[in-house]
Amino acid sequence: MIQKSDDIIIKTLARILVPFIQVYALYVIMHGHHSPGGGFQGGVILAASLILLMITHGLKDTQKRISEKAVAMFSSLGVFIYAGIGAVCLLLAGNYLDYSKLAKLLHVVPAEARSLGILGVEIGVGLAVMAVMFSVFLNISKGEDVEEDKKD
Amino acid sequence: MNEFLLSIGMGLCVLVFLMLYRVVFGPGVFNRIAALSAIGTKTLIILLIIGFLYNRVDMFVDISMVYALLNLIGTLAASKYLETVGENL
Repeated sequence: MIQKSDDIIIKTLARILVPFIQVYALYVIMHGHHSPGGGFQGGVILAASLILLMITHGLKDTQKRISEKAVAMFSSLGVFIYAGIGAVCLLLAGNYLDYSKLAKLLHVVPAEARSLGILGVEIGVGLAVMAVMFSVFLNISKGEDVEEDKKD
Repeated sequence: MNEFLLSIGMGLCVLVFLMLYRVVFGPGVFNRIAALSAIGTKTLIILLIIGFLYNRVDMFVDISMVYALLNLIGTLAASKYLETVGENL
């Protein structure tokens, strides 16, 4: 299991840095359509902030913030948002992920509906990527623990 | 101005190779980690210079910030691994 770090410099650094990293990740997700980045990249940065928290503050303190159940829920919620927006377009007599058909639902012009639709999809992708990346990291760090138990 | 930036970028590329020598042959793990981290920092500056050369700094600043962040986390993760495994590598 990943232990809590003893070094006060590292811990203080992580405590100050993590909120800024998460705000930056939200910026990358929100501005995905007119600057580099998007759902996947923003999700990776969000996961990196959680991994930084786990490296510095240990497994227990991190799971107080975001438990394994929450990680699993976030990963399926992200896929649900992505597939759900696509299915809503399908229900409104368009193609799958044809955002311009959302205009009737949102009461805006089709161009704005496209922008909002891609934003929703990117939020879904970001959530799913964040949760899956973090659960991969959690499982790897736990597998290491099991191996050490076998050796003893 | 462009020639100036280009020459600085090329100089930094040469420095990256010097660091790469330390990563491959360097005695001990700590030299390697420090050299890797320095390569990351140089890559960040080279990215920004490329941004200035293409007149798209607003795009490249985003990328270089993410690069700096991942560099920091990678170095921390490597040192965390060494803390648990020990220095006998």
